[in-house]
Amino acid sequence: MAREDTDRLAPADRVALLFDGTRRRTRALVTPEGVALRVDIAQRGERVGAFLLDVLFWSLATAAIFVALLIAGAGGMEGDVLTTIVLFLAFLLRNLYFIHFELAWRGRTPGKRICGLRVVDRAGGHLAAGAVVARNLTREVELFLPLEALASVAAANGVAVWAQLATFGWIVAIAAIPFLNRDHLRAGDLIAGTLVIAMPRRALAPELAEDTTDYVFTPAQLRAYGAFELQVLEELLRQGRSQDTRRLHAEVAAKISQRIGWPVPVPELDHERFLRAFYTAERAELEREQLYGRRRDDKDAARQRSTR
Amino acid sequence: MTASAGIPTDAQPASPRLALRSAEFRREREAAWAQLEAILAEIEKRGIKGPAAEDLQRLPILYRGAVSSLSVARTIALDRNLLRYLEDLSLRAFLVVYGPRASAGEGFASFLARGFPAAVRAARWHILIAVLATALGIAAGDMLVSADTDWFSALVPSDLSGGRGPASTAAELRQSEIFAPWEGFVASFVVFANSLFRHNAIIALMAFGLGFLAGVPTLLLLVYNGLTLGAFLAIHAKRGLTIDFLGWISIHGVTELAAIVLAGGGGLVIADAVLFPRRHGRLATLVRKGREATKLGGGAVLMLFVAGLIEGGMRQLVANTDGRFAIAAVTASLWLTYFLSGRRRGARVADGA
Repeated sequence: MAREDTDRLAPADRVALLFDGTRRRTRALVTPEGVALRVDIAQRGERVGAFLLDVLFWSLATAAIFVALLIAGAGGMEGDVLTTIVLFLAFLLRNLYFIHFELAWRGRTPGKRICGLRVVDRAGGHLAAGAVVARNLTREVELFLPLEALASVAAANGVAVWAQLATFGWIVAIAAIPFLNRDHLRAGDLIAGTLVIAMPRRALAPELAEDTTDYVFTPAQLRAYGAFELQVLEELLRQGRSQDTRRLHAEVAAKISQRIGWPVPVPELDHERFLRAFYTAERAELEREQLYGRRRDDKDAARQRSTR
Repeated sequence: MTASAGIPTDAQPASPRLALRSAEFRREREAAWAQLEAILAEIEKRGIKGPAAEDLQRLPILYRGAVSSLSVARTIALDRNLLRYLEDLSLRAFLVVYGPRASAGEGFASFLARGFPAAVRAARWHILIAVLATALGIAAGDMLVSADTDWFSALVPSDLSGGRGPASTAAELRQSEIFAPWEGFVASFVVFANSLFRHNAIIALMAFGLGFLAGVPTLLLLVYNGLTLGAFLAIHAKRGLTIDFLGWISIHGVTELAAIVLAGGGGLVIADAVLFPRRHGRLATLVRKGREATKLGGGAVLMLFVAGLIEGGMRQLVANTDGRFAIAAVTASLWLTYFLSGRRRGARVADGA
């Protein structure tokens, strides 16, 4: 069952599965130019983390205002006046905080920025101001108001147990929504038509393919593998040099020589050069074949074609 | 820069000199990608005003170049790192080029000027249902308590009644409620106004948010809100204070009830989308209607802020029924004018706000 599932994936996804252990959920975002960009959907844990960071920043800002008020001579005020002012400022501040940053920083709050998350329009268009306001006002209904209601009901000497249960049930129901859809959307995202994605930074690594090579492979030898094996080899060659990598290089070089029937054993110190040469030749072959419409996803696809 | 630059015209046999089309393609384009990456890094660090003007002008061209590079690379290259880098670069550029155009301030201004009134007009039938539910509640509450005053304590929770009830005499109601003394600026405008605002905002946002559950809780909440009002009306009518009570309630009630009804209307718009998805599918309908509905919810909260100021701060200051009715009439006509404003323009730009 699991084997069948991984077979149906694209080679790139299988490589990710092999090296990272997990594969992120992705979704195609079609730009107005008509190119589908694959985006990684943010995981629920990351979103909770970003949100908690934002709550922390917001609480610190509120506390700072409170202290500033005290210093500015508000200490003479009655207790409930001060509480009221602080509560109101907190309410104003948290809504301004989320809406301002998601607009000014193009879909990121400080917490999301730290966690590498971003809000985008699900349909691939502009992130509209209306959508940002909608998804953040909904958070008020989703979380903050029920929490406040829960706190105030609890403070009122527990008369209405049912009211407490109802608000608690509401919070649980709302918290369940991200688990019930494949894009991890919360209620605010559903209403606003937004999606939260993870933005990993990928640098452009140096080209692995070589211009000249000491090893020459025959077309028959190169037909032994497909795109999946090529990309695994690429990942392997891009790993930093260490004792471990050297050992892996030796193993893989031995495996490849055996499979393609390489006549002489590859010298001890030449494993990496051999692998790079094979990578270059294999990539040249596979890319050429792909251009002629003959895609080869992996070695099994390669074998089927050669036996036919 | 054309896309055809990277597409080979002939295939070369494997030989000691290797010329990979994908490697050649990368060499040609790499400089443009690096340029784009530098501009993006600048924008991500310092905002859209970070890079120089000529860099900003080149940004859309470089973005399209990156997207077209990605398309080409997908067909000719098997370099995993290159493909992932280009996807990442295109996405980052896409998010800058198609980022939000308005700041929070501009968004708020256009919401007040166009978005909110347009949303109210668009949802007029849903709002009418919310009005009817509230009216039903008022009538039922009035009838129930008039017939049997025991209903009052069943309908109105003790923290809302604040000691008032069927046993209150006309003099008590007059002195401690309708014409109670003003408690001073801070206590009225800050503490009382704010507690009213928070209480009402919770009701309004619940009425709005519960629209998700097919609108049933929204309607129940609206009816219940009407019931308590009807119950109060009944005990005042019993003491012959109907007109004074109406003046006392309408000075802020016009704004407050309108806000709660609008929030309820917003909830019903969402319920409509959930129940009757129409031809676009449930999720797409929810997105289209949901944004309109949130405008109603958000606008209602703003109105409740005004209502809180009137009720907490001004009501007891205007200690006569005629004055209260006058203010109620003025606020009602102001709201009506506001909601009917910008109708011609609103029809065109409502979606963009």
